[in-house]
Amino acid sequence: MKFFENKFTYDYSFPAVSLAYFLRYPNPYSRHVLTTDVIDRYVDPNTHRLHTTRLHLKKSKVPSGILKLLPKGMGGSDNSGQSYILETTIVDPTEGWMETESRNMEWTGILSVVEKQHYQRILTDENIQALDGLSIDQKSEQTTVRTTVTFRSRLGQGKFLSRKKAGFDNAEAEEEEPKRGFFSSLSTAGIQRTIELIGVKRTRDAVLKSKQGMNVVLERLRSGGIVGVLEGMREDREAAFGPEGPWKRVWLQGNGRSIEDDDK
Amino acid sequence: MAASIAPECNEIKERYDTCFLKWYSEKYLRGNTTSNECEELFTKYKKCLNKVLKERGIDTMLEDARKSSSETDSEFLRKS
Repeated sequence: MKFFENKFTYDYSFPAVSLAYFLRYPNPYSRHVLTTDVIDRYVDPNTHRLHTTRLHLKKSKVPSGILKLLPKGMGGSDNSGQSYILETTIVDPTEGWMETESRNMEWTGILSVVEKQHYQRILTDENIQALDGLSIDQKSEQTTVRTTVTFRSRLGQGKFLSRKKAGFDNAEAEEEEPKRGFFSSLSTAGIQRTIELIGVKRTRDAVLKSKQGMNVVLERLRSGGIVGVLEGMREDREAAFGPEGPWKRVWLQGNGRSIEDDDK
Repeated sequence: MAASIAPECNEIKERYDTCFLKWYSEKYLRGNTTSNECEELFTKYKKCLNKVLKERGIDTMLEDARKSSSETDSEFLRKS
């Protein structure tokens, strides 16, 4: 198992940061995020905390470094270039904190990545009074975020195909044989360690990008409010996918027959 | 607003998202945590979404992920 840890301070109030978190896709640094859906959301009647579960679909591939370590066929066949991420968040507006957890839903046998974040408002004497209002524009307020990511590879530990359903028993048995041969010829622990390290390396970039994306959304929030964020999103979406929808990229400028034309 | 995995749910999702953002920033974050004016839109959106999740088998994957997430959590708790 490997860990990655990072601390960061946003120069924005806690309400703004938590709002930006829910509003963070799309942004110019999130071109790999295809869709976002709310699966579940409720306010706990006792704690008044807001619980949210979201499902993100992201463009991603098993890194080639990891593919090289897998037996032929494994990883290649089902590698559609998309992956599902399950995200849960809890917000406590009174105490001024938010906890988030994101995990990959597929390939957890090869590498399970769990990202946890703890957002906490920083109280200083001057902004205690400002808490009455939403104070999205208060420049004096800050919010810290601590990110920890856990990487765990269970490759070669038998649980690998546990997600396959009973109906696939035969296929599973056929796959079992060459796999055992493969893993006995190489150190399982060594492969797991290598895969976990590749995960850590990729995460450094991902954490930086998500921070940059949050800052873009926060800046739009500060200068234009929620309307400003939504305007920015529309532009991002067009830049990323083109006016004809997510599956047709338009690379050339000036080819912009926009579906939003009636708004301008 | 971010697109839905189910294009046919985009319209109702956008209406729900807009309602939620307004409620979250104007009410919930200001201490009015009990109101639930977006509930009706959320029910409609979920109905649309769940149909698609089921069709594509994503619903069982979600169940598995939630199950295994509580498994790993209890594993961690035992260790610490």
